[in-house]
Amino acid sequence: MSTEAIAAERPKRNYNALFGLTLLALLVLLWVILSLATTSFASANNISNLLRQGSMIAILAVGQTFVIITGGIDLSVGAVVGFSTVIAAMLINAGVPVFAAILITLLVGVAIGLFHGFGIVKMGLPPFIITLATLTSLRGIGLLMTNGNSISINNDAFQEFSRNSFVGIPNLFWMVILVGIPAYIFLHHSRWGRYLFSVGSNAEASRLSGVNVQRTIYMAYTLSGLCAAFVGVLLASRIGIGNPTQAEGWELQAIASSVIGGTSLFGAVGSVHGPLLGAFILATINNGANLLNVNAFWQRIITGLLIIVIVYFDGLRRRGK
Amino acid sequence: MTSTAQELHPAPTLQPGRTILELNGLEKRYPGTHALKPVHLAFKAGEIHAIVGENGAGKSTLIKLLTGVMPRTSGEVIWEGQPVALATPHEAMALGINAVHQEVVLCRHLTVAANMFLGEEESRFGLLQQRAMVKDAQKIINGLGFDLPAHVVLGDLTIGQQQLIAAARATVRGTKFLIFDEPTAYLTRKEADQLFKLIRRLKGEGVTIIYISHRMEEVFELADRVSVLRDGTLVGTRNIAETNEPELVKLMINRSIEQIYHKEHFTPGATIVETKNLSGKGFENVSVTVRAGEIVGLYGLIGAGRSEFVTTLYGRHKKSAGQILWQGKEVQVNSEHDAIRLGMALAPESRRDQGLCLNLPVGMNLNLPIYKRISSNMLISGAKEKAEADRQIADLRIKTPTRNALASSLSGGNQQKIVIGKWLAHGAKLFIFDEPTVGVDVGTKAEIYRLFSALLSKGAGIILISSYLPEVYELADTLHVFRRGKLVATHGFRTADHEEILTQALAEKQEKQGGQT
Repeated sequence: MSTEAIAAERPKRNYNALFGLTLLALLVLLWVILSLATTSFASANNISNLLRQGSMIAILAVGQTFVIITGGIDLSVGAVVGFSTVIAAMLINAGVPVFAAILITLLVGVAIGLFHGFGIVKMGLPPFIITLATLTSLRGIGLLMTNGNSISINNDAFQEFSRNSFVGIPNLFWMVILVGIPAYIFLHHSRWGRYLFSVGSNAEASRLSGVNVQRTIYMAYTLSGLCAAFVGVLLASRIGIGNPTQAEGWELQAIASSVIGGTSLFGAVGSVHGPLLGAFILATINNGANLLNVNAFWQRIITGLLIIVIVYFDGLRRRGK
Repeated sequence: MTSTAQELHPAPTLQPGRTILELNGLEKRYPGTHALKPVHLAFKAGEIHAIVGENGAGKSTLIKLLTGVMPRTSGEVIWEGQPVALATPHEAMALGINAVHQEVVLCRHLTVAANMFLGEEESRFGLLQQRAMVKDAQKIINGLGFDLPAHVVLGDLTIGQQQLIAAARATVRGTKFLIFDEPTAYLTRKEADQLFKLIRRLKGEGVTIIYISHRMEEVFELADRVSVLRDGTLVGTRNIAETNEPELVKLMINRSIEQIYHKEHFTPGATIVETKNLSGKGFENVSVTVRAGEIVGLYGLIGAGRSEFVTTLYGRHKKSAGQILWQGKEVQVNSEHDAIRLGMALAPESRRDQGLCLNLPVGMNLNLPIYKRISSNMLISGAKEKAEADRQIADLRIKTPTRNALASSLSGGNQQKIVIGKWLAHGAKLFIFDEPTVGVDVGTKAEIYRLFSALLSKGAGIILISSYLPEVYELADTLHVFRRGKLVATHGFRTADHEEILTQALAEKQEKQGGQT
């Protein structure tokens, strides 16, 4: 009966598009302000830098969003990134062709994601717990494998990739596009994408409607693991070392980007473009704060406040006011 | 239709009680809808006043205004002779106005006692007096005649028992005016009887009861007077002794009762599914046959094994023995997936928990079972998706602004149409409807029954589970009665009378045809 009283909400898709737009507007506004306030922001060099900074979190946020839409969470992505840098570095240094090394690293990410799916579906563990367990143990495994040392990658071509640009745009940003477009089609135009939403909304109703809920959950965590391993490869290329303690706290940045991008932590609400914008908004704030010589400690505080403000306004919108 | 002036000054011979609450042109407008048109109505102390009407007729709005959950647009509420604002729930409670809602709004993880005293805990020197509260709660519960422990966690009780606790809670805080909103929707008959006893007892103590229900027999069993709402208008108030069900139904929907149970008979075709001595958790040795063009009704009390039987048939649970024959061939149904692939469709009992993705759009809910069909390779055809959704919305007459509106924004009846409707496009051969009309108003019921006929005419077969006897009685071509996990009797269309069927469903120790319970 109570449902009758809830006034008909605005059509969801319009609302999503609108929210995407206002995020874009926020990003553009930040860029305009920073261009006016500093001389260096609008330089080609800084923009490239900004795009590089934001790219990796953006890709993580896309994978994370798939998981959050199903009503779960993946706390392991930062650790998977660090672990993947180790795998990639070891393989390349062992003389494995770069192409094969990348492929194997990605497969490791897939395996980690499948393990998460197994823990949730077969062992009945909450996503928070199983991914928290992987978070700490993957760092440990990585440290064991490296004896706590960093592994320098001796392959210049591999490292060049992340520094280079293609038609004036950093390669790392092209990687966002490479991930983003298939991810967009997958989430919004394939039935698997629909199933992610339906499982996040009501797993039982989905199961009774013939949706393979278990497979959908496996898929979400596998994609998140795959994205994280991919980011690990990019990070290894960028910094030229394999180190399991890299990417500390990136899982939280990915979750923040996703949430800023309009993803609901309760599941069933989210998009691909939202988290991408969210990641670059966070990157812009950090970049701008550096240029404005804002104390690094303040940057963290500002980021926190911003998350509160954006998600609060999102909540207001959602309630239809 | 009675004039409203008559309601303001009811003949004193009918009810000796004084007026406790008077609505004087109470009105509520939302942007775009006139939810409640000016209502004039006086409630008397110690009466049980039923309010009936279809979903969306304004019952919920009326409750919300009376309990201070929402402010009114205009009009007056007079409480014991004084105009009151009823601006907050707190004000309503302070006056003695309380409500028991259809869905239990208590804390499932706290104990029964903690829930009973929630917000008014007993404490000494700032410390909770847990033991004293359990003792007092138990005293109250026993006093009401409920056989329930006060120290257990609320979530461990059945929904029906939780409902009784919610009712008990509402009675202990100086309540003078108590609203029940569909309290029996999830209760067993025994629990309902306990609740009715409580309600009569409260009436005896001078408490005014507003009783909202879709179930006519309850209205006639309990109420002194009944008011009918239709489209936000109070269309009449009757003394219960001076009215009957057909009249009320007609007031509610402007349609006669024969038009509700719309039954068309089709010649049964080939056998679609047959179970042979099927056993599983909660039921044993059930043999049922469903043919094309017929409705097979499963009647029994909640917990009699009907739902367990169909969910096992549907692959949700494992069978322990017996066979399932699909179109004459033995099949193994190990998952819902298998069942759907064969051509079964299940509209489950609880639309909130099992039937709908509430925070997703209507269109997506409708298309969920057929995404495979409307996508080529992996990609969904956007045009087909829209067309399918719009066609369903039009065919089923689902009242929704667009296919993109969230399912949660629809009324209960329209939500139920989605739960059922999403299978129509799927082209299933066997439809299983588990309590398809719980909490659904008469008008929507009629539409759902008409849907059944449409399915049958296309050669489908239907298994209809219902705890509401008139429904299975008027619709089922074959009626199976379940009791304690066993199929105890089988009847043809209207070949047994209500009393016989009820006895078979209820009989405890006596075997078939035993004495009355």
